[in-house]
Amino acid sequence: MSAAHILESLQSSGLAERIRNSLFLFPLIESFHVVGLTLVFGTTFIMDLRLLGMASTRRPFTKVASDIVKWTWAAFALTATTGFLMFMTNATVYFHNPMFRLKMLALALSGINMLIFELTAGRKAHRWENDRAAPLAGKLAGIFSLLLWISVIFLGRWIGFTTTNSEAPDVDTKTIDDIFNK
Amino acid sequence: MHNFALWLAQTRISLEIQTHAWAVPTIQSVHIAAIGIVVASVFMIDLRIFGWAGNDQTLLETTRRFGPWLWGALAVLLATGALMVTGEPVRELMSLSFWLKMFMIAVGVTLAIGFQFSLRRNGASWESNKNPGTMKFLAILTLLVWCSIIILGRLIAYDHIWGRWSLNPSA
Repeated sequence: MSAAHILESLQSSGLAERIRNSLFLFPLIESFHVVGLTLVFGTTFIMDLRLLGMASTRRPFTKVASDIVKWTWAAFALTATTGFLMFMTNATVYFHNPMFRLKMLALALSGINMLIFELTAGRKAHRWENDRAAPLAGKLAGIFSLLLWISVIFLGRWIGFTTTNSEAPDVDTKTIDDIFNK
Repeated sequence: MHNFALWLAQTRISLEIQTHAWAVPTIQSVHIAAIGIVVASVFMIDLRIFGWAGNDQTLLETTRRFGPWLWGALAVLLATGALMVTGEPVRELMSLSFWLKMFMIAVGVTLAIGFQFSLRRNGASWESNKNPGTMKFLAILTLLVWCSIIILGRLIAYDHIWGRWSLNPSA
């Protein structure tokens, strides 16, 4: 099955059609996407600042991490799910949008950055966890993480300015008036 | 309000924002990053109240750790928010979501100030957790208020969803 086929079948699925044809589903999904990503960014920001020695420096790195990382992943799950739902509604257009592709690249790079950190400084965290800042490999991971996540936010916002989404559904239009029976 | 919006749209700074395609998404991105810092700070303080994170620090220490970031990011939000209103006055001011959002911000900021004052005054009894029920309720309420602010902020772009209550149904 080719990429075009997969995109086509995603786009023509019942779920995608339902989101497209509702006036408030897409806006709501997008809103929860933002709730999720603010939590991903905010919690990642705390970790990055700890690595750079700029905040939470009095707490051991491993403690900061064990408090936060599980929530970052939970928020990421919400963001990825809502992101996928939005992608479905107009899969072919998003797939060919350069901002979307750059955003996926930035996400992949931030995953690789995290993996490299885990294999280098993260592995020996017990040796430096009480230091004010992480060793060089950790600091670099913190800087890359910050830059990549800011790029993800910016590119995500640009997608909205460079594609048309389901803002103008054609059939079966529903608004809040329909919920309250006029 | 509509006349004010039209006047604002003719000001020099508004025209500058309107004529640079990168300006609005850039300001919005900074706005989103800053709300991320606010909501994560509120979330971390909430986790401490629930005893789910940072239990090696007192609640007062936890708020001292996140408080300055919260207020600093709020200042950035106010500045970038003002720029967005200036850049697209009709879109923002003629939107029900925008005014609901402003109301929720007033609630959120009042809760945050009330929390800080009361923690400073009754710190000791808060630490010994004499009324965890009330505190946990307020913690969840505060987080929900900030989530609603984020959601309403995004809904400014889709004011039509409010149907006949929308201030600008064509949005």
